[in-house]
Amino acid sequence: MFDNKNKLISPTRVKICGITRPQDALLAAKLGADAIGLVFYKKSSRAVSVKQAQSIIQALPPFVTVVGLFVNAEPTFVQDILAKLPLELLQFHGEESPDYCSHFDKPYIKALRMRSGIDIQSSAQEYSEAKALLLDTYVQGVKGGTGVPFNWQEVPLLLSKPIIVAGGLTPNNVSRAIMALHPYAVDVSGGVESTKGIKDADKMSAFLFEAKDFPQKHSKGASMSIAKSFSIQDTQSLPDKNGHFGPYGGIFVPETLIQPLKELQQAYQHYFKDSAFLAELNDDLHHFVGRPSPLYHAARWSERLGGAQIYLKREDLNHTGAHKVNNTVGQALLAKRMGKNRIIAETGAGQHGVATATVAARFGMECVVYMGSEDIKRQAINVYRMRLLGAEVRPVESGSKTLKDALNEAMRDWVTHVDNTFYIIGTVAGPHPYPVMVRDFQAVIGRETRQQIKVLTGCLPDVLIACVGGGSNAIGLFYSFLDDKGITMYGVEAAGDGLETGHHAAPLCTSKPGVLHGNRTYLMSDKNGQVIETHSISAGLDYPGVGPEHAWLKDMGRVKYVAATDSEALDAFHDLTRLEGIIPALESSHALAYCKKIAPTLDKDKIIVVNLSGRGDKDIHTVAALEGIEI
Amino acid sequence: MNRLKTCFDKLRTQKRAALIPFITAGDPTQTLTVPLMHGLVEAGADVIELGVPFSDPMADGPVIQRASERALNQGTSLRDVLEMVKTFRAQNQTTPIVLMGYLNPIEIMGYETFVQAADSVGVDGVLTVDLPPEEATDFCLLLHTHTIAPIFLLAPTTIPERIKHICTQASGYLYYVSLKGVTGDAHIDMTSVAEKVKEIRQYTKLPIGVGFGIKDVESATQVAKVSDAVIVGSALVKLIETEPQEKLLEIMPAFVRELRKGMDTSL
Repeated sequence: MFDNKNKLISPTRVKICGITRPQDALLAAKLGADAIGLVFYKKSSRAVSVKQAQSIIQALPPFVTVVGLFVNAEPTFVQDILAKLPLELLQFHGEESPDYCSHFDKPYIKALRMRSGIDIQSSAQEYSEAKALLLDTYVQGVKGGTGVPFNWQEVPLLLSKPIIVAGGLTPNNVSRAIMALHPYAVDVSGGVESTKGIKDADKMSAFLFEAKDFPQKHSKGASMSIAKSFSIQDTQSLPDKNGHFGPYGGIFVPETLIQPLKELQQAYQHYFKDSAFLAELNDDLHHFVGRPSPLYHAARWSERLGGAQIYLKREDLNHTGAHKVNNTVGQALLAKRMGKNRIIAETGAGQHGVATATVAARFGMECVVYMGSEDIKRQAINVYRMRLLGAEVRPVESGSKTLKDALNEAMRDWVTHVDNTFYIIGTVAGPHPYPVMVRDFQAVIGRETRQQIKVLTGCLPDVLIACVGGGSNAIGLFYSFLDDKGITMYGVEAAGDGLETGHHAAPLCTSKPGVLHGNRTYLMSDKNGQVIETHSISAGLDYPGVGPEHAWLKDMGRVKYVAATDSEALDAFHDLTRLEGIIPALESSHALAYCKKIAPTLDKDKIIVVNLSGRGDKDIHTVAALEGIEI
Repeated sequence: MNRLKTCFDKLRTQKRAALIPFITAGDPTQTLTVPLMHGLVEAGADVIELGVPFSDPMADGPVIQRASERALNQGTSLRDVLEMVKTFRAQNQTTPIVLMGYLNPIEIMGYETFVQAADSVGVDGVLTVDLPPEEATDFCLLLHTHTIAPIFLLAPTTIPERIKHICTQASGYLYYVSLKGVTGDAHIDMTSVAEKVKEIRQYTKLPIGVGFGIKDVESATQVAKVSDAVIVGSALVKLIETEPQEKLLEIMPAFVRELRKGMDTSL
C-alpha cells in the first residue's frame, strides 16, 4: 500500500526532467537527483536527439536512473531508441494503452493528466504493470510542461501505486506538495530552468534542498518525545499483536469468539495491503460516500469568537450524514471478501445502524441491527430509515435497554451465528482487531484534513477538537497528527447535566479502567464493578466506555480529554446553525462547545480544526422538545 | 488439597460423571441462595457453580440474564457472593464451589484482594467467561498460589493448537461449551460433542465438563456417557421464574435429583 500516512522518515525521490545538456545532468546528479528525464517527443522544446542523449548518459555517474519520455510514439520509434540507448525506465505521457505500455518489456511509469473527474484509482488498476503513476496538470492541448500545479486535494490518499507529482513544481512549492501528498517522488522540469531546456544551477540546488531536506527537518521535530516514552515509534507500533495499547485494549471475550476474531484479524491485515481491496474501498469512499469531505473555514463564527481561525471538517456531508459510513463501507467490503453474507450491528442513536443498513443494501447483504428498546422509542425516524433500507431492527429489552445492551445482544448473536455472520462494530472499541481496524477506516478524516489544511493555509493546524463517545471520529481526525508535537488535541466527552452530578457519559474525565465489551479501557462502573447507566443529550455519546487507544493517549498525555455539558452543546448547536448555516449533530456540538471556549483565548493567526462528525437533522426533534416545541 | 481434585478423583474411581448445577447468587433473593446450595448438594450435586451477577452478561441467554438482573436488583455484589460461600462452608466443607462470572467486578475489587478473599471463604475454582488464557497469565499465577483452580472454556470453534495451550493453563476441570451460542440455547449435537470431548482428551488428564444446552434428563444422561461432568444452568434457573418462590427449595433439588438418577442408572 502506498498511502501518504506520515512516513516522514522516507525521503522523497527527485527526477529532473527535460535535460538537454550533459553539464545539467552531471549537476543534477551531484546535487542528489535520483533520476533524469530525456524527452523523445519532437514537438517539445526539450526534445533530445539520440546523439545528444548519448553524451548526456555518458556524463552521468552510476545510480542515477535514466528515464525516456514518449508521447503517443509509434512502437517502432520507441524500439529504435531502446536499441540505441540504455534507458532504464520508460515514461508514457500521452494516451498510450496499458497493452502498448507493457509492449516494450521495460519497466514503465504512466503519466496521468489531472482533469476533473479523473479516477486515479481505476487508472492504477488499469495500468497494473506500471511502476508508478505520474500526476501532471491538465491543460487542454498541452502535453506536460504546463507550469501550473494541479489541485492536490483531488488525489485519493490510499493508492495502490506509488505516485510521482509533477506539474508546476518549483523550489517554493515543492515542500508543500510533499507535505500535502507524501508522494513517492516529485518531477520537475520548467521549475528549475533559466530558459526552456536549460537548467539553472541555483534553482536546481534550491529545489533539491527543499525536496530532500524537508523530511529531515520535520522528522527531527517529530521525534522529540511529546510525553515521556511517547514517540513516533510508539504510536506506529501500537497496538501490539494482541491489540494492547499499553495496559488497554486486548481481547476479553468468551472462548467461542476467539477464533473468529483471529480470522478477522488475518483478513483485515491481508486486505488492508491488497491493492484491489483498497481500490474498491477508495472507489466507494469517493463515489458512494462522497469523499473527500470539505474542510470549511467558519469565518463568521471565528470572527464572532474573536480568536483563532476555525475550520470544520465536514463529515456531516458524507452520505448518511456522519463519519460512521467511512467504517461501515470498509467493514462491509471486508465481510464480502470473507464470504460472510449476514451483517449485524448495534446502534444507539441509530446513526451507525443506518450506516450499516445502507452498506448492507448497497452490497445486497442480510442485515440485523440491535437497538435498545428505549432508544427505539427515542429514535423512531432512524428505525424507519433502517427498515426502509431492508434491515431488521431487533429491540433489546435487557439491562438499561440502551446502546451497551444492544452491544451485548449483538455479541450474543455473533456467538450463535458465527459461521456466516460479520459483526460491524461502529466505534474504536470492542475486542482486537476492532479498535485498530475502525481507526484505520476512519483515519481518512485526518489524512484529508492534513492535506486540505496545508493547501488552504500553507501550514498545519495548532489545535484539533473532536467529540468522544466511543471515539471513532476523534481517532479518525487525530491519528495522522499524533506525531506532530506542536499540535494540541482535545477529545470532548459528554458531561451531561455536569460531571459533578454523576449524570454524564465521561469515563475518561471521571472513571478508572475496567473491562467491558471485549477490551480494557476507562469504564463507568460502580464500586462493585457493575456498569452504570450514562446520560447525555446526544445518544451517540451515551456510552459508559471509550476506545482503548484513547485511554492510552490520555495516560500518555498526548490528547487532553475534557467535557461539555448538554446545555453547552446546545448553545454551540444554535451558534453554528445561525452563524454558518450548518446544523450540527448534537454529538459534534460537544466539540464545537469546547471550541467556543478556547478559540477566544488564542491569537487570530492560530488554526483550530473541529471535526464536524455529523449533521443535526436527526436531532431537531430533541432540540425542539427541549424548547417546548412540538413538531 | 483442592476440593475439586478430591471430588473428581472420587468420582473417577466410582466411574460416575459429576453433576454440576449452576445458580446465580442472589437469585431470587440473597437469603435463599445458601439454602438452595445445600439443597442441590443433598439432591446429588457434586460441584456447585455459583454465578456472580453482572450488569452486562454477554455470553448468557435470556434466562441467566434475567437471573443476573434479579440478583442485582437485590443489590448482590461480589463481596456478598463471597459472604454466601463463607456461610455455605460453615456447614459444608467438602463440596467444591466454582465462581462463574465476568471480569469487571474482579478487576474493580482488585485481583489480589479478590483471590485472598476467595481463598479464605473456601472458593475452589474461578471461571471468568470473558477472560481468555492470553489475558489471564497474572491472574492464573495468583490463583495457583492460593490453590484455586482457574477454569477455562473450550468451544466448538477452538482449534487443536489452542486446546493444547489452554489445557496447560487450566486446572480443576475444563468446561466444554457444547454449542455455538449463549447459555440456554437450543439443541446440542451429541455426536459432535462426543467427538470434541475425545479430541480434548488427547491433550489433558483433567476432567472435562460439558455445559450450555443441557436441559433435561435425556440430554444430561447422554452427556454423562461421554464426559466427566454435566453442567446444568438455564434449565435449573428457569424454575425460579416459573415456580412460586416458597416452593423452590423443593422443586429445584427435585429437578437435580432426577438428573442425577438418570445419569446414574445409565451407567
